[in-house]
Amino acid sequence: MATEVEQHVKVENEGGVGWIRLNRPEKMNAIGALTRKQLAEAIKQAERDDSVRVVVLTGSGRAFSSGADVTEMSNDGGMHTPEEVGNILRDEYMPMLVRLRTMPKPVIAAMNGPAVGIGASYALACDIRVATPEAYLMEAFVNIGLAPDGGVSWLLPRLAGTGVAYEMFFSGKPLAAADAHRLGVINRLVPAERLEEEVRDLANQLAAQPPQAMAAAKRAVNNALNSTYEEAMEFESYLQEAQAGSQEFVDGVQAFLARRAKK
Amino acid sequence: MGYEHILVAVEAPVATITLNRPRVLNALNPELMREVNEALRTLESDESVRACVLTGGPKVFAAGADIADMAERTAAEQLARDQVGRWAGISAFTKPLIAAVNGYALGGGCELALMCDMIVAGDNARFGQPEINLGIIPGAGGTQRWPRTAGKFAAMEAMLSGAPITARRAMALGLVNKVVPSEMSIKVAQRLARQLSEKPPLALRFAKEAVLKAFETPMSEGLAAERRSFYFLFSTEDQKEGMRAFMEKRKGVFRGR
Repeated sequence: MATEVEQHVKVENEGGVGWIRLNRPEKMNAIGALTRKQLAEAIKQAERDDSVRVVVLTGSGRAFSSGADVTEMSNDGGMHTPEEVGNILRDEYMPMLVRLRTMPKPVIAAMNGPAVGIGASYALACDIRVATPEAYLMEAFVNIGLAPDGGVSWLLPRLAGTGVAYEMFFSGKPLAAADAHRLGVINRLVPAERLEEEVRDLANQLAAQPPQAMAAAKRAVNNALNSTYEEAMEFESYLQEAQAGSQEFVDGVQAFLARRAKK
Repeated sequence: MGYEHILVAVEAPVATITLNRPRVLNALNPELMREVNEALRTLESDESVRACVLTGGPKVFAAGADIADMAERTAAEQLARDQVGRWAGISAFTKPLIAAVNGYALGGGCELALMCDMIVAGDNARFGQPEINLGIIPGAGGTQRWPRTAGKFAAMEAMLSGAPITARRAMALGLVNKVVPSEMSIKVAQRLARQLSEKPPLALRFAKEAVLKAFETPMSEGLAAERRSFYFLFSTEDQKEGMRAFMEKRKGVFRGR
């Protein structure tokens, strides 16, 4: 009898917004081999599907994601070898996290609860974070004798500053949503019961913005993070030239003038 | 002069050659290369053209040679056809030749880009020599031009691993001049070509020749050649015009004499 493959990741396309939902609530959305495979596929499809204008990444149940599925690492066929650990990071996590950060459309993390370890790496790789007050970010690696991974050594110092990043990496203690919000790591705090609604509103709002202009903004920021001020400005100027020749700009200016004429 | 595999657009003083076999990612077959060489020969003698852009269009520069065309050939056949030897026309082009590279420039495609005088890369560009994976090595200058620009170690990595590098990495290695958004690379290359078109053509030609000589000769010989060209240029009208314009605080107008 063929057993149905477990659905660790649920995908819904809702009027231009692609919802990618980690779907292992009983495991606090821990990420195992099957989760990685399904998540990678979901992220790839979200990027390719032009009808998806905005992507939302969230968890089901109480957690955003508790991180790598440690039980799977130790029960199912024994622990990963060190080399396997490295390979999984390089060959599986890296491509999909890079894809989240660079796909030409906004990606919102709806943090319905804690984001721990590699779970935090996903939340931080998104462009915008909206969280409930019960959520937190936690770099738990040190608690089991590991170093930060999934890109957080790069992301967290930029988002929160090196002091906060180091404290999290060294102590393994959580950064509460309220503190993360104060630091600008989390864009908005929303009560749990209103999280989805609020994220949906934000996503719908962004889905109505000119997609090419948003893609250009994302390209500019990603380029700038690897450049000098002058290089970033030059790259911007070329992006702007391309954008100034687009239909989006023609339409945008027309709509602007029409609005002003009405006033 | 109808071409089958390339497009040639002359907007004097700049000409643009576009590799045009999109269905096979601009794979370089002998006919395409013959046409590129022929086009460059024509543009060489066209006095209205002062600089040239070579591109593969917005998506891909050239993803290598036509493997299907080579797979069953013998060494003797390959030697007799001397497919890559026929690329000589590109290095014989004396005017500035700027590559605008988007997407993959692999194998022969990468070597073709490296034969140009400057490279404007789109941010989606990838440069690589994957020949090793086919049991061969680059055959159109890859093993020689990479180390001369990117150095031994980056060259070894590219040749031995076959793995392509990103535009950003190519920039860091000095393999390209600029990285711009891919949709702008052809325009930027054409603009650059237009700027060069306002420079004195004979000086451009000798400058190009002298720089290329740096890869071919011992320093003393290169310096001697440079000096000869330097003195020779004092026999040109453009030198007189250039220096007069400088003193009169105006822009020189050069006629290639």
